[in-house]
Amino acid sequence: MPVLEPIIELGRGLFTTLRSMFEKPVTVQYPEERKPVKPRFRGRHVLKRYENGLEKCIGCALCAAACPADAIFVESSENSDEKRFSPGERYASTYEINMLRCIYCGFCEDACPTEAIVLGDQYELSFTDRKQAIYPKDMLLEAVAASQLLTPQKTEPGKFTRSVPEMKDPQD
Amino acid sequence: MAKMVSLTIDGRPVSVSEGTLIVNAAKTIGIDVPVFCYHPKMEPVGMCRQCLVEVGRPAIDRATGQPVIENGQPKINFGPKLETACTTPVSEGMVVLSQSDKARASQKEILEFLLTSHPLDCPVCDKGGECPLQNLTMEHASPQSRFLFDEKHHAEKRVPLGDKIWLDRERCIQCARCIRFQEQVAGEPVLAFYQRGRSTDIITSSEPPFDSIFSGNTTDICPVGALTTADFRFGARPWEMKAAASICSLCPVGCNVTFNTRREAKSRARTGTTTAGGKVVIKRAMPRQNEQVNEIWICDRGRFEWHYVEREDRLEKPLVKKNGKLEKVSWKVAIEEIGNKVKGNKEEVVVLASGRLSNEDLFNLKQLADGLGGEALLYDSLPGGELTTKYGVSAGTNIGDMGAGTTILVAASDLYHEAPIWHLRVKQAAERGATLIIVNSEATRLDKYAKHLVRCEKGEAAKKVRELGAAVKDAKNLVIFFGADGSSALAEACAELVKSRAGKPNNGLVGVWPRANDQGALELGFKPAQDLQAVFEKASVVYIVGADPIGDGAIKTQNVKRKPFIIVQELFLTETAKLADVLLPAQAFTERDGSYTSGERRVQRFYPAVPALGETKADYAITALIAAELGIEVEGRSAGLVMDKLAAAVPAFADITYGKLAETTEQWPIIGRADLYYGGTSYQNSQGLGVPLGRENKKAEEGSL
Amino acid sequence: MLAEKYPNEVKKILAKYPPERKQSAVMPLLHLAQLEAGFVDRHAVVEIAGICGITETDVAEIIGFYTLYHDAPEGKLRLQVCTDISCALRGADEFLAKVCERLGIQPGGTTPDGLVTVEAVMCLAACDKAPMFQVQGPDGIAYHENMTVDKTMEFIETARKEVK
Repeated sequence: MPVLEPIIELGRGLFTTLRSMFEKPVTVQYPEERKPVKPRFRGRHVLKRYENGLEKCIGCALCAAACPADAIFVESSENSDEKRFSPGERYASTYEINMLRCIYCGFCEDACPTEAIVLGDQYELSFTDRKQAIYPKDMLLEAVAASQLLTPQKTEPGKFTRSVPEMKDPQD
Repeated sequence: MAKMVSLTIDGRPVSVSEGTLIVNAAKTIGIDVPVFCYHPKMEPVGMCRQCLVEVGRPAIDRATGQPVIENGQPKINFGPKLETACTTPVSEGMVVLSQSDKARASQKEILEFLLTSHPLDCPVCDKGGECPLQNLTMEHASPQSRFLFDEKHHAEKRVPLGDKIWLDRERCIQCARCIRFQEQVAGEPVLAFYQRGRSTDIITSSEPPFDSIFSGNTTDICPVGALTTADFRFGARPWEMKAAASICSLCPVGCNVTFNTRREAKSRARTGTTTAGGKVVIKRAMPRQNEQVNEIWICDRGRFEWHYVEREDRLEKPLVKKNGKLEKVSWKVAIEEIGNKVKGNKEEVVVLASGRLSNEDLFNLKQLADGLGGEALLYDSLPGGELTTKYGVSAGTNIGDMGAGTTILVAASDLYHEAPIWHLRVKQAAERGATLIIVNSEATRLDKYAKHLVRCEKGEAAKKVRELGAAVKDAKNLVIFFGADGSSALAEACAELVKSRAGKPNNGLVGVWPRANDQGALELGFKPAQDLQAVFEKASVVYIVGADPIGDGAIKTQNVKRKPFIIVQELFLTETAKLADVLLPAQAFTERDGSYTSGERRVQRFYPAVPALGETKADYAITALIAAELGIEVEGRSAGLVMDKLAAAVPAFADITYGKLAETTEQWPIIGRADLYYGGTSYQNSQGLGVPLGRENKKAEEGSL
Repeated sequence: MLAEKYPNEVKKILAKYPPERKQSAVMPLLHLAQLEAGFVDRHAVVEIAGICGITETDVAEIIGFYTLYHDAPEGKLRLQVCTDISCALRGADEFLAKVCERLGIQPGGTTPDGLVTVEAVMCLAACDKAPMFQVQGPDGIAYHENMTVDKTMEFIETARKEVK
């Protein structure tokens, strides 16, 4: 039946179109509406803090050493109990990530001995200037709930002598 | 020639001289026996036990006294216990197994013990990345420790041993390298162990504390991050830094150094006296091996005092005086200004150069002065120093070879402060048996090693040296270090003693110059400036390079009756520079290449470490620009080309090229390879050992043989 | 100052050693310096270093190495319990812990009245008579062997009365 065949095919096609009219649409109304990211999504970096507000980053520059794109730049200085940024002797006085260079591979997370650098869930990065792509430390640091948690802090002598905390084996 | 002994290490035959330690014998054929406490420059102590190896010796038949032969091979008896490779000398037919199961197990377990008290804070440790403990742990240790983590020994982490050196007691593995360095090499035993067993600490109880001028070397040989310098503390990670070979410019020893450089963050604010923002800066100075000059050591001046090149007040643009004020101008305007002023007064030009300049700079200045018919003077050198160009030590001289049979005379010089590495090496020569004679008006730290100590009034050293004449006449070798003692009489008296020995290796004069390249200036024909005040008044144009006679008080401006036209070439706005009519900004030695001639008459090459600042130019290039303006042909395109011209013009420098200066040969101890635990973090020399002057004599000698 | 306080003793000690080996006198001199106060103070270290011609650090090292010398003031009597392996096998650790408990101090600590300091030390060469301790005090050194906690407390009480 060479005449009927195209008509049946056409009908089948129209039926598919018709059926999808009654289905829930998949389009997300970005930016009003956002889909949650996956648990292991690798977005923009965040420098974490301990609960007391001290920075986890100790300025060891292992992230910079691990970075295949040479996007991270760290300079460190010495802590004192009067002006303490992180536990132990050393903290990052400069911490910069060039977001245009970064390939979001997550090697920095793996290299970090204190779990200070974490690739977060933010992915909306846009710049109007190349220089803006260099995120300094104050942009990368996690926000604090209260101003007394900001660094540097004045701390009790002898309390924060160790840089690398005893950590559980990373689970993931 | 020492007797040779043949043995096998890990199945490989090796033949070394009698008395060699197993660890060194292994090293010569590229087998690295791990060590912590052993250091090739110090007596072995065998206290860390890391180097345990299996040692077998051929069985001897008691009846015949001959080795027992089994199946055609000599029978080897292995000891029941392992032996330390760092304290056991080799013997004929010895068989050493450094990689047997037994040896490897011991190496693994010793590391496990060492790590029981070590904090493993490698991420914040300055040594991390160039740390022998880290490397050997990766290579030999087990990933798991059987010791309880909670029972780790905790100790103070920030103990200043002195102004320059910090101790982290927790990281220390008690190898005593620093203690032994101070005791055996530096001769200032101000470090010691305190307590015993697990609570052993490094202490200093002296007053003032750890103030040795060689203290920085302990951080190099420390096999962990226990000793760090205050200067470099947390400065950079070792793998981030680039290395540039250089020569220390602070004294006439000419120590080979390596500058480690790194680019700083753009955002970085001004810190202290230097601006780092986005620039490549020097982070630290490290020794570079040259067994004929500084071995693997440098003094703390060389290690820490290079900071001046990064001072913020460096001159960056040429300046010309207009209406009594120095104003920034372009190079073209500045050079034209000089041209206009000099063209009319060519003969009355005086070049006053400092011994801080390189051979190339000085040669060009001399060319310019000669071309104009003016005078080339060397500022503030040693009185009578020009005698060293005639009777100075010649090729083949090495203080490291001196021992019994050599007499070393140190006249009117405090080597500890004036040329610290010479102090160190002369002291060691005296300990090897060289006869050390000191003539000085004041006590020096070298006095206690002297065989004869002659005290004299200031200015009378020459007389005393002359009196010594007969006593030193019969010495097999005689080297005389002389310093400033008022007049050239001392130099003449010293020269008198070595005259007959000129040209022989390990004989001759060494001037303890105030600057790095005074020797070079005199070799190139500069005349020491006598009466600066008169020179200043007589000349119509004075071209001052690298010197600050007014700041030093050598010229009193209020007494100057007639001020000449002054051209100053400098790094900073010195007192002299303030008076300049034209002020030209020069490059520091870290920003360019060139060569120095050390007090031991060794020409050594330095390389650029950091990019040049602003519009600065190398001294030789500036001189060439001025010369070109005045119609004199002077090479200024590159330092290497200047050296070619120099070698062609000055007989003492004949045949020296930049290629020759960059040549190296194998040196002992072998350092700077993957196993930096062996000799410490001193750099291997791959950029040149330099060429000694005075080779003509040597050639003649070789020819006569 | 030693030379002022004990001029004859210092002379006597130095006479025992040849002048070119005078650094050997450091041990008896330290002992002398420690007689009165029970510890060697900084001044004495400097003085002894001067007498023996060695550095102050060398003297401090010797004080640190030997358990017989002290560089900080502690109790009048130093009760030093050997806890090395042979003594430990005969219950020295337990003995030390119990004595400390009875005195209400930690090993290495001093009783509140400043009378007794109890510390653990290395071998005292009396392995067969453990638990044992030596007492270092103004009267010199005395060994107390085959001890029990009760006997020790008795000894301390007697000493307390004597001192008072």
